[in-house]
Amino acid sequence: MKDFIDPFIAMWYRQVKRFLRAKPRVVATFMQPIFWLLFFGLGFAAAFRTGGAVGPFMGLDYLAFLLPGVALMTVFVSSFMSGISVIWDKEFGYLKVVLVAPSSRKASILGRSMGDATIALIQGLIILIIGYPLVPSMNMGNIHLFILVSLLVSISFASIGIIIATKMKTIEGFQLIVNLITTPLLFLSGIFYPIDVAPDWLKPVILANPLTYGVDAVRLLMVGKGTFAFTTDLICLAVLSVVFLLIAVYQFEKATID
Amino acid sequence: MGNAVITRNLTKRFGSLVAVDHINLEIKNGEIFGLLGPNGAGKTTTIHMLATILKPSEGTAIVAGYDVRKNPREVRKKIGIVFQDMTIDRHLTGYENMWIHGRLYGLSGNELKERINMLLEYVGLSDWKDVEVRKYSGGMIRRLEIARSLLHRPEILFLDEPTLGLDPQTRVHVWEYITRIKKEEGMTILLTTHYMDEAEKLCDRIAIIDHGKIIALGTPEELKSMVGEDVIYIRVARGNGNVRSFIEMLHGVTKENAIKPLAPGYFSLTVKNAPEVIPKIFDMAREFNVKIMELRYSRATLDDVFLRLTGRRIRDETGSWADFIRMRRAIHMRRRR
Repeated sequence: MKDFIDPFIAMWYRQVKRFLRAKPRVVATFMQPIFWLLFFGLGFAAAFRTGGAVGPFMGLDYLAFLLPGVALMTVFVSSFMSGISVIWDKEFGYLKVVLVAPSSRKASILGRSMGDATIALIQGLIILIIGYPLVPSMNMGNIHLFILVSLLVSISFASIGIIIATKMKTIEGFQLIVNLITTPLLFLSGIFYPIDVAPDWLKPVILANPLTYGVDAVRLLMVGKGTFAFTTDLICLAVLSVVFLLIAVYQFEKATID
Repeated sequence: MGNAVITRNLTKRFGSLVAVDHINLEIKNGEIFGLLGPNGAGKTTTIHMLATILKPSEGTAIVAGYDVRKNPREVRKKIGIVFQDMTIDRHLTGYENMWIHGRLYGLSGNELKERINMLLEYVGLSDWKDVEVRKYSGGMIRRLEIARSLLHRPEILFLDEPTLGLDPQTRVHVWEYITRIKKEEGMTILLTTHYMDEAEKLCDRIAIIDHGKIIALGTPEELKSMVGEDVIYIRVARGNGNVRSFIEMLHGVTKENAIKPLAPGYFSLTVKNAPEVIPKIFDMAREFNVKIMELRYSRATLDDVFLRLTGRRIRDETGSWADFIRMRRAIHMRRRR
């Protein structure tokens, strides 16, 4: 048991410590969702109100529709970025230090993803709380379930990040790959518009996106409207997060420095 | 006295390139063993295979009594390693880096704390332990890495180019640590280097490696005696005395064809033992009224051994160029981070 706990704690600690140290990164991760809420959300909410358009947004004011999704977007971006940052460890050699240690690699990578998840979760919560004055109708009593959903989302995307990073040979095109993956996932997740108004040919992609179920779940929890039942969301998310986590662990387990 | 490391036809191929080519080595317990060779000779690849993070394409190695293929985990417990490129997390403090490493090796609590403080003291970084590593100098990072590699009391220590890119003063410090570790802990140390002075100063035995093959093996003295020659450089004043007859006479103290003109009035000669020959040279010069302006000699170095074996020098191979690129890359990366 100690064989598992020790490396788990070591890697969890590293992720959290690193994040707290990198002050510009802390600020940047908060600024992006705040920009979306204020500059995009307030403007569009006002525009839709003028036209009286609440129908397309499940009968919600656009800000109320947007906020839970943006909070979850923070979780998604943060966890994905942390996961894919394994590539930097590869580039800077720290990965070698982990690989040459006798400790369980499973424990190391699980500790790392849980460290990423912890950070992502806290960021999502903070955005939700910052946004609360804008949408006072939010049901804050469900916040424990918001935490659960965020945890599953961050485990999924930290794992996806790790899988991509272990496959990448160099850091060439790192930013491009990140944009290429995050942008469609964000826009095809139902954060900005309800998924049932999307064109039919886009729907399969939307339904295959783990983020869709997360967004649906938190909207249901916080403002009471959703497309699927909460249990459906939760089961889909749980299955996806376990699958991605297992693939990430497997990839990391057999990683060499070739 | 058993063997700490035994390699059996250890081979690594990258595509069609054979980086390490059927290496057979035996490294004795408690010795400092050096792998000396130019960049790209296969030194790092060998170390990576011995440290279990690279799979051999063929053959295997027994490290601390365990097979690197069958029992990598047991090998990992017994070894410590300082990689060639810096592998410290720059955003954490020296202490935090040590702590995480300790946990990865199953140390914890007060035992870990005491061990960290002791080792940081040992490498003179106690005052810096709570400072983020990105503020450390290159030499300090190296010292931290050495301290970190000793944390779990390994039986065998691998040092891959331990002084690459360090200034001369820091290099001497690192050498002192290495000799102290051997003396105080009785650890077996395998180090790779392309610096001749480093290999000569530190190593009990040296294997010279080129194109993935071991081409010579022995103590530094044994290797140098393979060449067994010193070179004397002489510059004489022109138009003074009978230079031609003087040079004619010099043939008597050297082997055939061993006098090489380098420039007008400047030549070198290869002899068995320079300190014995030099007084004779002065006698001859006096005899022919030749005025010697300059005379110096150099004893055989490991580089001469390498030259003799391969027809090339270790130093002016791609060496300096690769170092340059690597350092530029390191600086570039540090800025980017």
